[in-house]
Amino acid sequence: MSQIHLDGGGRKVGEIHVPTFNEHFLRYKVAFIDAVQELYKSKTAFIGGVMLVSLVIVLLGTPWLTEYDPTKPNYTAFLNPPNAEHIMGTDRYGRDIFSRVLWGGRRLVAIALAAVVFGMAIGIPYGVLSGYYGGLADSVSMRVVDGLLAFPGILLYLLIVTLAREYHLEGFWNDLILVFALGFAFFPEVARLSRSSVLIEKQKEYVEASNTVGEASLYIAMRQILPNCMSPLIVNATVRLGYVILIIAALSFLGLGTPPPTPDWGSDLSSAREHMETHPLLAVFPGLAICYTVLAFNLFGDGLRDILDPRLSDR
Amino acid sequence: MLIYTINRILHMIPVLFVLTVVVFLFMQMLPGDVIDTLIGDEEAEDPETRALLMKEYGLDQPIYVQYGVWIGKVFQGDFGKSLITRRPVSLELFESIPATVYLAIVGISLSILIAVPLGSIAAVKRNTPTDYAAQVTSLIGISIPEFWFAIMCVLLFSLYLGWLPSSGYMSPFEDFGQSIKYLILPAAAVGFRQAAYTTRLTRSSMLDEMNKEYVDTARSLGFSEKKVIYKYILRNAMIPTITISGLQLANLLGGTVVLETIFAWPGIGQAIYLAIIDRDYPLIQAGILVLGIIVVVVNLLVDLLYRVLNPRVALN
Repeated sequence: MSQIHLDGGGRKVGEIHVPTFNEHFLRYKVAFIDAVQELYKSKTAFIGGVMLVSLVIVLLGTPWLTEYDPTKPNYTAFLNPPNAEHIMGTDRYGRDIFSRVLWGGRRLVAIALAAVVFGMAIGIPYGVLSGYYGGLADSVSMRVVDGLLAFPGILLYLLIVTLAREYHLEGFWNDLILVFALGFAFFPEVARLSRSSVLIEKQKEYVEASNTVGEASLYIAMRQILPNCMSPLIVNATVRLGYVILIIAALSFLGLGTPPPTPDWGSDLSSAREHMETHPLLAVFPGLAICYTVLAFNLFGDGLRDILDPRLSDR
Repeated sequence: MLIYTINRILHMIPVLFVLTVVVFLFMQMLPGDVIDTLIGDEEAEDPETRALLMKEYGLDQPIYVQYGVWIGKVFQGDFGKSLITRRPVSLELFESIPATVYLAIVGISLSILIAVPLGSIAAVKRNTPTDYAAQVTSLIGISIPEFWFAIMCVLLFSLYLGWLPSSGYMSPFEDFGQSIKYLILPAAAVGFRQAAYTTRLTRSSMLDEMNKEYVDTARSLGFSEKKVIYKYILRNAMIPTITISGLQLANLLGGTVVLETIFAWPGIGQAIYLAIIDRDYPLIQAGILVLGIIVVVVNLLVDLLYRVLNPRVALN
């Protein structure tokens, strides 16, 4: 699409190419196909991608892969070792561990995805606008981000989750609060990252050109600058997914996540500790599941960084 | 440098302000009345007593006045009393800080001892099987949840081999030998994850340094490869590595909640965890605030240290 600019007398004074949404989309489609081809080149990304795809297939296929109800106790099969019927054995209520690992994984990955998307949905506009407009608003909003980043480790989640517990939220609402807490704790990082990319990007000529022809600043910031800042954000989000999964598992390990009997890798690990002396295998499977998932996201994110940011590759 | 220092300290003020506001609001957002939370018995139901208590705690004041009063008390180290033990919260917290700092420092030193040689070797032998092995190991390292690693260590070294106690704490000033025994597993659990991060960091900052011109100069002057690597490259690569390890130290202090709980380590993380379980709000509030302040201060110190180590940065 071209925008033709006319002066007061109706004469054509300039023409500027402004990419439309479709053109952006097309660009991303091409970039995506390129990326898939690149994935074959980067070993890390390829292995991570394969691990992720198989994870998604297994999690989507859970209802067909296991016939056991993950929450229903079975009083005839307590603490069975792995056997033909229960390939990972059963827990202290006779529940099939394989089924619990799969169903728990579905929940965990879904919550992590929702949380990361939520964090980006707040963080990106916050950072982009703050970086684009600059000035006092930028200073103030960045100090807020600094303040939130000062909460070490999982403490910000602990605050929010503790608060949520006092309101006796259950089931879906509890998950929603978890998504909110994790996303809220992620947003300062996203805001920082998008702001710093915008600061570099806004020096470029095309921004100046758009400014000159009088585009709305909101439009320039969100539709023209932002698409050029996406790659570090995508890499960050991928790696963050792994981290968020670790955090959710840690919270439920501490008994502050989802209450039982909902299958959950963290709380299953925590209850496995009670039987550690006699049934050490109980603690192995949920832990391996966490490792696999987080490793898949980390590998993929690492490889993605090499592909999307060639300056950093070969390091 | 002085101007920079003052500037950095001034920057801390808004950060601390946000931190205190968030922690203060947490208390305000608890369901029900603060009176119910603080008193929690039948007395509080009598309207007259309630009004009296409201006045005593200043709850009849507008919220910003309440914040002002609260922050004034915090400056004097008065965080209120624990709802469980009825002792001043500050006392409970300051008793638990040494154990956490002890664990964090040993853990981080351990990680540097492992990671710096590993990362340097990976960088020097770049794109060889050694390098790949180091990279894969560190990537797996950051993917393993620390609490699972801790459980597996307990399983192997305490339950199966019986070499080390599975949990507990002893002050090093009491019985040094025993204290070390209690320390090994928690410190390993803290250190291994850190080591994975630091390995990656060391490798990439070594690679950064290797491409610089002074390295070529040193080589052309005929210095041995060993001298070039250890005396020049590694030394310069250590600046960012140490800095980021310092920043990690701050994060570690907050992240020890899970590990301290597993190993029954009487640090600030376990104190916060127990407070959450017991609904001891003043202790939660103060614990998180104190950790946050520690993080801000450590970050400041690390930042200043970085400028001292690396005067080139100050010029920019």
